[in-house]
Amino acid sequence: MFGLIGHLTSLEHAQSVARELGYPEYADQGLEFWCSAPPQIVDRIKVTSATGQQIEGLYVESCFLPEMLAGSKIKTAIRKILNAMALAQKNDIDITALGGFSSIIFENFNLSQMSSVRNIQLEFNRFTTGNTHTAYIICRQIEEASRKFGIDLARATVTVCGATGDIGSAVCRWLDARTEIKELLLVARNQERLKELQSQLGRGTVMAIEDALPKSDIIVWVASMAKGMAIDVATLKRPCILIDGGYPKNMSTLVQDEGVHVIDGGIVEHSLDIDWKIMKIVNMTAPARQLFACFAEAMLLEFEGWHTNFSWGRNQISLENMEKIGEVSIKHGFRPLIG
Amino acid sequence: MGQTLEAVAIDYQTENYRDAYSRINAIVIEGEAEAHSNYLQLAELLPESKEDLVKLAKMEDRHKKGFIACGKNLSVTPDMDFAEKFFAELHSNFQKAFATGDIVTCLLIQSLIIECFAIAAYNIYIPVADPFARKITEGVIKDEYMHLKFGEEWLQNNFADSKATLEQANRQNLPIVWKMLNQVETDAKVLNMEKEALVEDFMIQYGESLGNIGFNTRDIMRMSAMGLVAA
Repeated sequence: MFGLIGHLTSLEHAQSVARELGYPEYADQGLEFWCSAPPQIVDRIKVTSATGQQIEGLYVESCFLPEMLAGSKIKTAIRKILNAMALAQKNDIDITALGGFSSIIFENFNLSQMSSVRNIQLEFNRFTTGNTHTAYIICRQIEEASRKFGIDLARATVTVCGATGDIGSAVCRWLDARTEIKELLLVARNQERLKELQSQLGRGTVMAIEDALPKSDIIVWVASMAKGMAIDVATLKRPCILIDGGYPKNMSTLVQDEGVHVIDGGIVEHSLDIDWKIMKIVNMTAPARQLFACFAEAMLLEFEGWHTNFSWGRNQISLENMEKIGEVSIKHGFRPLIG
Repeated sequence: MGQTLEAVAIDYQTENYRDAYSRINAIVIEGEAEAHSNYLQLAELLPESKEDLVKLAKMEDRHKKGFIACGKNLSVTPDMDFAEKFFAELHSNFQKAFATGDIVTCLLIQSLIIECFAIAAYNIYIPVADPFARKITEGVIKDEYMHLKFGEEWLQNNFADSKATLEQANRQNLPIVWKMLNQVETDAKVLNMEKEALVEDFMIQYGESLGNIGFNTRDIMRMSAMGLVAA
């Protein structure tokens, strides 16, 4: 069985979902209540592969909310993720994806050092960040969107915002090794890590975001931020492709301008309907078929019987593993969302 | 960019810590003493399980002695008057249920609510306890899981007949627990135990028990949050 650990995008969103699902005790409560709310299994999922194989999974709502990080409630955020992982393990889930901020919290606050949760010893090989599949899908989105919107990659300047992150660095390595892009601009907050990445790649220009964006034909946004960032659309090139790999996804509503094509990054579309109700709740346009690539990774690992932490640690995503997960992604009927 | 939460160094000998400990320690001692007598009374109501229940009662008595030693170790005199008042309402509800032979309510109060709360509190306490108390508490918690299991199994076997009473008893007693928790929030904080973590751990354990007994997710979410916001 596979599992998905997810969370909602804001307190307001959480309240409305609780109301919709018929949990009035949770619906009208403020942040303090959510800080004490336990994780819950809220959905049972059936997925059929393009090969006909069927698998089952559980959706674990961690009750984490981004407001907890914004309000520096670090201990609370950590507790939410560890408790959700413990619940997944207690339910004998073989492989669980850490969705949304879950994997970011796990990495940034060194949760690998906190494997004891009450009487449960967390087995980290039962979890995956899903980042290998997400990085792979974003790279495929770059390739396919450039074809669709008439941007020749061999002449294109591509900016990766959040280049030093787990997904960002993998995207940079793929772009360098597997595509013919003309120029790679690297944007991130930590200068030291940017220089390190640059030297590993042997290419790429480190640049401030406001300088990089107007030069870009393609912008990949994979920075992890509790709050989104405003982009001055007027300064962008035309045409320009913006791949929004952040969470929550809000660029398509913020950036609406002719010639600027916003694509929800790291989202896949399955070729068959999935039997679940949860994606409707996270506001996917085609909730029966669209899902986060990190979640799809847990499904792929289950389909293939690879019960292992396929994506784990920081900046360990190899091109080989991206290809490996890519192959089974296609085999089981997932494809990158182009919109 | 990795960050680690700094480990907090706790001085167990400050006046402030020992003052807070005098009440928390007393609650634990009183809780174990009441558990001892509650299980003996339950043995009267459930003669077929008398042997098991007397065994559980003895364990609670041993726990009480362990926690008395924890107080002594820090040269703290437990405030037993405070603890008795603290438990008064729950104690009275247990006695009322006992008087009418209401096994289900007695089990809900002692074997579910009190045990789940003890498990949550001990789990949160262990990482911030002084070394002596940590060892004692780690031993105690293993027993408490066993006690919880006794109640769960009985209620699971009698679920259909107990469901309505359980819901009613939950409605009546869980709000009392939240009020009790509020009374010791400040003291618990001095011991480095966060209220929201206590509530969350309680709800996890209590929810799991309700699930084992036979309640569904919807029931569990409703029942385990009963009265929390009003408290």
